[in-house]
Amino acid sequence: MTSDVTATATAAAEPRVVVVTGGSRGLGAGIVESYLASGDRVAACARSVTPEVEAWRASHPDHFLFETADLSRSADAKTFVDAVVARWGHVDVLINNAGVARDGILAMASDDDIDTVVDLNIKGTLYVSRLVTRRMLARRSGSVVNISSIVGRSGYRGLGVYSATKAALDGLTRSMARELGSRGITVNGIAPGYLRTEMSHGLDEGQMDQIVRRTPAGRLGDPGDIARVCQFLTDPRNDYLTGQVIVVDGGLTS
Amino acid sequence: MSTSPEDVRRTVVEFLTLIEKLPEGFADDTPLYADGAGLDSLETAELSATLEDVHGSDPYATGDMPQTLGDIQAFFAAGS
Repeated sequence: MTSDVTATATAAAEPRVVVVTGGSRGLGAGIVESYLASGDRVAACARSVTPEVEAWRASHPDHFLFETADLSRSADAKTFVDAVVARWGHVDVLINNAGVARDGILAMASDDDIDTVVDLNIKGTLYVSRLVTRRMLARRSGSVVNISSIVGRSGYRGLGVYSATKAALDGLTRSMARELGSRGITVNGIAPGYLRTEMSHGLDEGQMDQIVRRTPAGRLGDPGDIARVCQFLTDPRNDYLTGQVIVVDGGLTS
Repeated sequence: MSTSPEDVRRTVVEFLTLIEKLPEGFADDTPLYADGAGLDSLETAELSATLEDVHGSDPYATGDMPQTLGDIQAFFAAGS
């Protein structure tokens, strides 16, 4: 993670309470780092503790909360959100980042492959969003960002299930924005292009080289590229921006 | 805040006042929806969230659909 993640971060007058799902590694870790750097209180969850999590616990004991959780289980989602509310009383920002991919041709996918990806990427996002937006409704304020993917728009050979779940999140973004807009709650999405962290999402070195060659920006994205857009979308001054999915892909799909 | 009938009534009345839907002569048996306070679906969700936020639980979460303030007070009186 790079320190420039914080360069454009907006320092709020009061620390916000920011929930980041899947915040233990990769893109989620970059987002957590960005909000910690902007002085906010950050609650993250993932299925396991990582060295990054241990480091934040030590460096930000008053501003960082982590709970192990499998968000594909409704009860885990509730336990996590309850822990956040018990500690800080409310939630200002929700970043729905948790997701998993299983690569392979759909014709060969097992039930378990499909269930694993759908249960976390869609149902997990719905569980957390339901719980958190209830809290936001009670306060009539808040911001939600759903992290989807350009493959939800363009598709990608071997990522059919993952692509379907990411397209679903874009639909969720638009529906939630319509439901909650009149209550001062913004809901937007970010569709990242291919990040360095995609190496763990089933794409091999050859595929990644090909993507770089086709990307106008001439590089893969990094978590900071996405974290800065999260900060922009959740800046309270930008409350006229809702229901949109911002593509952040170095121009790949332009 | 406690879940006494008085405190629950205060929460509901404050909420209805906030959204400018407090009917004249609002009573424990006044309907919360059509022909009463006229709550729509989003306002019902807000009331549900507000009850949970203030009193720690709410009748809507159990799948029940309270029709009146009295129904909500009865839920809390039952110790739910």
